[in-house]
Amino acid sequence: MTEAVRLQAVAKNYGPVRAVDGIDLSIARGQTVALLGPNGAGKSTTINMLLGLLEPTDGTVQVFGGSPAEAVRAGKVGAMLQESGFAANATVRELVELARALYRDPLPTAEILATADLAELAGRRLDKLSGGQTQRVRFAFALAGNPELLVLDEPTAALDVESRQAFWAAMRRYAATGRTVLFATHYLEEADDFADRVIVIARGRVVADGSGADIKQLTGGRTVSFDRAGADPDRLRGLPGVVEVELRGERALLRCDDSDRTVQALLSDGQPWRNLEITGAGLEEAFLSLTATAGKE
Amino acid sequence: MRAYLVFELRRLIREPRMAVFTVVLPVLIYTISSGSNEEAGQVGGVDVAAYLMVSMAAYGALVGALSVGISVSQERASGWLRQLRITPLSPAQVVAVKALLASLLAIPPVVSVGAVAAFAHGVSFSAGQWAALVVLMWLGSLPFAAFGLALGFTLPPQLTQPVSMLGVFGLAFLGGLFVPVAVMPHLLASIAVWLPSNRFAELGWSVVAGQAPPAGGVAILAAWALIFGGLAAWAYRRSAALR
Repeated sequence: MTEAVRLQAVAKNYGPVRAVDGIDLSIARGQTVALLGPNGAGKSTTINMLLGLLEPTDGTVQVFGGSPAEAVRAGKVGAMLQESGFAANATVRELVELARALYRDPLPTAEILATADLAELAGRRLDKLSGGQTQRVRFAFALAGNPELLVLDEPTAALDVESRQAFWAAMRRYAATGRTVLFATHYLEEADDFADRVIVIARGRVVADGSGADIKQLTGGRTVSFDRAGADPDRLRGLPGVVEVELRGERALLRCDDSDRTVQALLSDGQPWRNLEITGAGLEEAFLSLTATAGKE
Repeated sequence: MRAYLVFELRRLIREPRMAVFTVVLPVLIYTISSGSNEEAGQVGGVDVAAYLMVSMAAYGALVGALSVGISVSQERASGWLRQLRITPLSPAQVVAVKALLASLLAIPPVVSVGAVAAFAHGVSFSAGQWAALVVLMWLGSLPFAAFGLALGFTLPPQLTQPVSMLGVFGLAFLGGLFVPVAVMPHLLASIAVWLPSNRFAELGWSVVAGQAPPAGGVAILAAWALIFGGLAAWAYRRSAALR
């Protein structure tokens, strides 16, 4: 049994809204996988189904060969959810001890506190923590049981730059022990830096799946746009470095993987143009173009 | 599960706000009302001081048992209960611990009102009667614990508190905890005997009168336990499916 997670044709509807629209994916044990996508792409819904918190409308979800609920009951899963709060009137240490008591083979308390950088806050009450500190406590709670699969939904959302680095360093150490880690993020950099594999989700579907470098290439292009003034779209498509041409009224948008060559060619080609603009494809835009491509297939 | 129970108990002890409503208030009402009724004789074959002691203990127990709903709805809103659902702790264990805690909150008012009655108002019973009183009032509070859970798993936090307060006052008043059923208007009295609050206090009134609780009353209380327990289970499943 080498598979940690397997989703087959998984879909989830919220009333008329289809949040997840048929996802197939399989994650091998020991992989560190990023679920990358813009807000509202279906990442959290997918994660909640994976944890058994939500029932899929269609399809099947398997974790370590069984149902998510079975894997959770067996203590194989630890998770850090977005914005989950903690009980007031308890200290950080008490919470960590509770988490340890719930799992069969937990990590030592000192190690958990050190990993999540909480040693100095152990005696602090949970309702007296800052946002970043609370986020670290969530990490500690997820980690405490030494789970085989660690699921993190937007783990660095409330962290400043320094804590972010500390967090990823800790996550890396954990992943290095052979554990499977799945984290959701909307930062391409994070996904690229910390995951062996990046799965891009947009509009409830997997639109790309590969190494960080693969995904970067897919999304790293620029957009050259200008008022067309009668230029021939087919000839624009033929310019070097152009991946795709989109016409929005009079405006032509060329998605390019090598915008320098495209612009040089455009200048020497003699095609009419006005109001030239070159923009880096934001991640959002890259996601949208990936989804558009996925829709055409 | 034991670790979770200990964790929750420790949190409960740190929440002083609850003590005001479950201990201080019933003791205060008891002191005031029985102070003015010193020579009032008997109600239903029991000294007024003892009768009122049970009424106020039952009232405090009601407040305590229903208060579980407030913490459940807060923990639901904060996401803590969701976090617990992704640990090996089963949802049934979480709900069982909550119900146990809620029923435990019924004990301090019984003990404290009893202590005031014994030391300040000359109420005296055998040790066996005191023990029976505490145990029966504890077990008898379970339907209210279930009622609290049903509210907590249904309502948002800002509604749970006022609704439980209304529930407590409605049940206490209509159940004859503030005004004995014997002096209620006929219509209200005929409603009172079907209410769980009345049958709950009846457990205590029977003990202080030196009798076993009537089977009919126990049956009515048990029926309410089933109704509230069913509601709580339904509310729990509904809330789990939503999130």
